[in-house]
Amino acid sequence: VSGAAPTAGGVLLALAIVVPACGMTLSVLAGGRRGESIAMLFMPVSFAIAAAVAWQVIATGAPLEYHLGAWTPPLGIALRADGLAVAMMLVTAVVMVATAVFARADFRSPRGGAEARAPFAFWLLVPGVWAGLNTSFLAGDLFTLYVALELLGFAAVPLVCLDGRNEQLAAALRYLLYALVGSVLYLLGAVLMFGAYGTLDIALLAARMDGGPAAAVAAALMTAGLAAKTALFPLHLWLPPAHAGAPAAASAVLSALVVKGSFFIVVRLWFDVMPAHLGLPAAQLVAALGAAAILFGSAVALRQARLKMLIAYSTVAQIGYLFLMFPLAYASETGGLGGGAALAGGMLQAVSHALAKAGMFMAAGLIYAALGHDRIADLAGAGRALPMSVFAFGLGGLSLIGLPPSGGFLAKWLLLSAAFETGQWWWAVVIGVGGLLSGTYVALVVVRAMTSTTAPLALQAAVPRSQEAAALGLAIAATVLGFAALLPFELIHIGRLDVPGAPR
Amino acid sequence: MIAGLPLAATVGFPLLLLAACLVRPARERMLLALPFAPLPGLWCALGGAEQAPFVIGGGPLQFVFQLERPASILLLVSAVLWTLAAAYAAAYLRDAPNRDRFAVCWLMGVAGCLGAFVAADMASLYFFLALLTLGSCGMVFHDETPVARRAASVYLGLALAGETLVLAGMVMLAVAMPGDGLLVHDASAILPTLPQRDLILACLVIGFGLKAGLFPLHVWMPLAHAAAPMPASAVLSGAVVKVGILGLGRFVPFDVTLPDWGLILTAVGLFTALYGVAVGLTQAHPKAVLAYSSVSQMGLIAAVVGMGVSAADASAAIAAAYYASHHVLAKGALFLAVGIVAATGSRRLWWVLAPTALVALSLGGLPLTGGALVKYAIKSPLGEGLAGTLANVSAAGTTMLVLHFLHRVRRDAAAPAGAIAPAGLLFPWALLTLAALAIPWAFYLSVPPGTLENPMAPKALWSAALPMLVGAAAVLALDRWGGRLPRIPQGDIAVVIAPATRAAVRAGAILQSVDAVLRAWPAAALALVLTAVLLGYAIGVR
Repeated sequence: VSGAAPTAGGVLLALAIVVPACGMTLSVLAGGRRGESIAMLFMPVSFAIAAAVAWQVIATGAPLEYHLGAWTPPLGIALRADGLAVAMMLVTAVVMVATAVFARADFRSPRGGAEARAPFAFWLLVPGVWAGLNTSFLAGDLFTLYVALELLGFAAVPLVCLDGRNEQLAAALRYLLYALVGSVLYLLGAVLMFGAYGTLDIALLAARMDGGPAAAVAAALMTAGLAAKTALFPLHLWLPPAHAGAPAAASAVLSALVVKGSFFIVVRLWFDVMPAHLGLPAAQLVAALGAAAILFGSAVALRQARLKMLIAYSTVAQIGYLFLMFPLAYASETGGLGGGAALAGGMLQAVSHALAKAGMFMAAGLIYAALGHDRIADLAGAGRALPMSVFAFGLGGLSLIGLPPSGGFLAKWLLLSAAFETGQWWWAVVIGVGGLLSGTYVALVVVRAMTSTTAPLALQAAVPRSQEAAALGLAIAATVLGFAALLPFELIHIGRLDVPGAPR
Repeated sequence: MIAGLPLAATVGFPLLLLAACLVRPARERMLLALPFAPLPGLWCALGGAEQAPFVIGGGPLQFVFQLERPASILLLVSAVLWTLAAAYAAAYLRDAPNRDRFAVCWLMGVAGCLGAFVAADMASLYFFLALLTLGSCGMVFHDETPVARRAASVYLGLALAGETLVLAGMVMLAVAMPGDGLLVHDASAILPTLPQRDLILACLVIGFGLKAGLFPLHVWMPLAHAAAPMPASAVLSGAVVKVGILGLGRFVPFDVTLPDWGLILTAVGLFTALYGVAVGLTQAHPKAVLAYSSVSQMGLIAAVVGMGVSAADASAAIAAAYYASHHVLAKGALFLAVGIVAATGSRRLWWVLAPTALVALSLGGLPLTGGALVKYAIKSPLGEGLAGTLANVSAAGTTMLVLHFLHRVRRDAAAPAGAIAPAGLLFPWALLTLAALAIPWAFYLSVPPGTLENPMAPKALWSAALPMLVGAAAVLALDRWGGRLPRIPQGDIAVVIAPATRAAVRAGAILQSVDAVLRAWPAAALALVLTAVLLGYAIGVR
């Protein structure tokens, strides 16, 4: 695998990072009021790049590779788009474009008006997040991944406090500090790796990996640091206030995408760097944290009085599902992590949660704006006043519960298959109970919202059609994602650096 | 004609109407279109069981729709019930403020119910089960009274739990099946050979048994069927519960004997049949009485399936479907009659009560009615032994229960003496009553003569009449000497749900305070360090 040659069309990978980065730079140079217009230019381009990369990878059935400046690793930096990266790039592009559509109504700079902080910051930070995410999906070495993490972190933290309210600042500070500690742990691990193996390139590291003590310590530090940035239970202290406090468009990006960036690096580390050297006990440990996240996060979500807090805790729970795949992907005959149903299920969970959660946060934002509050107890009448928003929330909820034909269903099916195939039925029980708990909190909200009121609600603000369309579009995308099972190819498995003999 | 078109239309047309509900003007008028939604299903059912399947997808995984023999009977009568009940609903809920919401839920119910009858692969079957659950819960919730809310939440919670078990069973089967196909037929074929056979069967029996209302998972049925608006109760109690028993019947293999599972199913079924009667007799609300009668009837159907499983007798599934088809129509007609009686004055009451009594008594097996015909059909699978005797006892019990129902429903006629139910309610009810009396005869005449007992023979007349006479005598005796029966709350053992909910709420409060501790800085910092150390240890001990 090491020394894989760059492939035709590989320059697209560089563009996938450079274009949003340029968008960000241009926004700074052009000043606050032009951020939106610049975003409207670069976003379609970035979307098209993601689509083109996906097209290339699917058409050839092989990963795309690009070496920056034509220097081959370990001297140069490699970018690599395998099936995993393409899936995440695509969902990022979809959520980003929908967020932009949604955010235009909230973060506009009126012609001739004064430069406002929130629109300036928003249109500056969103491309930063996009560049950071694409870097974390495409980077072929641990140091570039670190850069991606930092870019992602520094673009995401200010999104939390766009309005500048006190509690937002407190939440952002929490997020910043905890994420910094996570980065430091990751960096420590990367340094240890470099000391032991003399390279940070993923393919070369995988080839030289012997599972020595340095690698074990490095993997533990990096995984813990990344878990902190992903808000894996019990490292979730920053997530609920940050995701619930941010404006709806920002919450959507944070909850749907930003946590997936650090999660994706965990997947790279476990499945690509050292698939055969982490062992079942460690995999069971992270899955146990994931299971605790599912049960604990869902139960606490049920206790929330505010809709956005409920959705934030639901994210804590849904992140748990992502970590169930590690022991399920463990192949006892090879003693390593294989691809197969578990990896596909875990990644599909990441993708479908991104779509569903972004749609749900947007719907919650619309409900908040229209009603002037998001107290769950007082949602009666919302279903009649804002049918499309409540419908979008409910559809997103179907994916969280895992009802067909949603992507969440297919993900659950794949994870359950892996659980039964490997005889680890206890994770199947967790998945089942988690589905029931999420069904309860989704029903709680939808039933409240569908309850009649004697007089029609007086809306505080009109809800723009475009915003409802963005939320509904994402929710529908999550709902029909399950039909991906009918596709003749398996995107996730393209370009896997599989351990030989592992179940597909 | 395009191959598979009737099957495609059966599921596609209600889904299309559902999609149309995204547009507000269509949604607001949808109530009037509801009677048309099941018509493609009716067309498909009339085409018979040997038609071309409808397949979606060309890859390794396909969604397949096919009409098989027992399901075709249920599809036919269910489509009739959904159509006539929808016509009733269009008049009954004409001015209801939430009729658009009701129409959406109804369409989900139509698509889910008819879809579950024709879905041949596990993924689509699961989809239609879920759709059906969501739609049914919405219909139960319609009135928004505290009773309706409680019923809908109990229903939703239990149904989702049942579906989770069904899903677990399906995935275990799918993992064991060779290739990527997910056909229920193939799954059922390999089921007896699998090492985890009993676990899978347990998941499927509990999951589908819950949908079919078998004891002790029947608690949602009396609550939901009593709380829903009349037309919704009719389809829930008539058609929707059959999905559970049909689903189970399609997974359990009938070509291999599974004596243990047959015995379990038969025992639970017969106990449910008697239990439903006993609790139903203590109910005051006519709809609750009918709901308990449904619990009892579903128990009997499950017992027939169980006897078939014990004896590897595939004809038991057909007999069970035949028996169920009569219940679909009769129970639907009786639920609609509750609303008709309530709108009819005392002077015209007998015009309504007489046909209703005929349909009600046919549930107990009144000679020469459809109920007696279907009783003959299940006689051979049940046999002459204990199961057959208990089935006769349950027939006597059902007679008691329907007499109790007639007594109760009559007291509800409170309208002015000359009042008459609106034509929009009257016609669908009358047609459904007619269908309940006629369609079993049509089925009877369609099977080759000699297959079933001659219903005119004196022996057959007597065997049907005896349990009825016993039941009628028991009612008289109960009335004369029985004194007052205890009042058992609707949903009987559902009373444990309230304390369980309170305990869950308390547990949730504790978890929330633990969360507050975990999210404080000292705990979170410690957790991070511990995670890193434990991970290092876990990787080290590999």
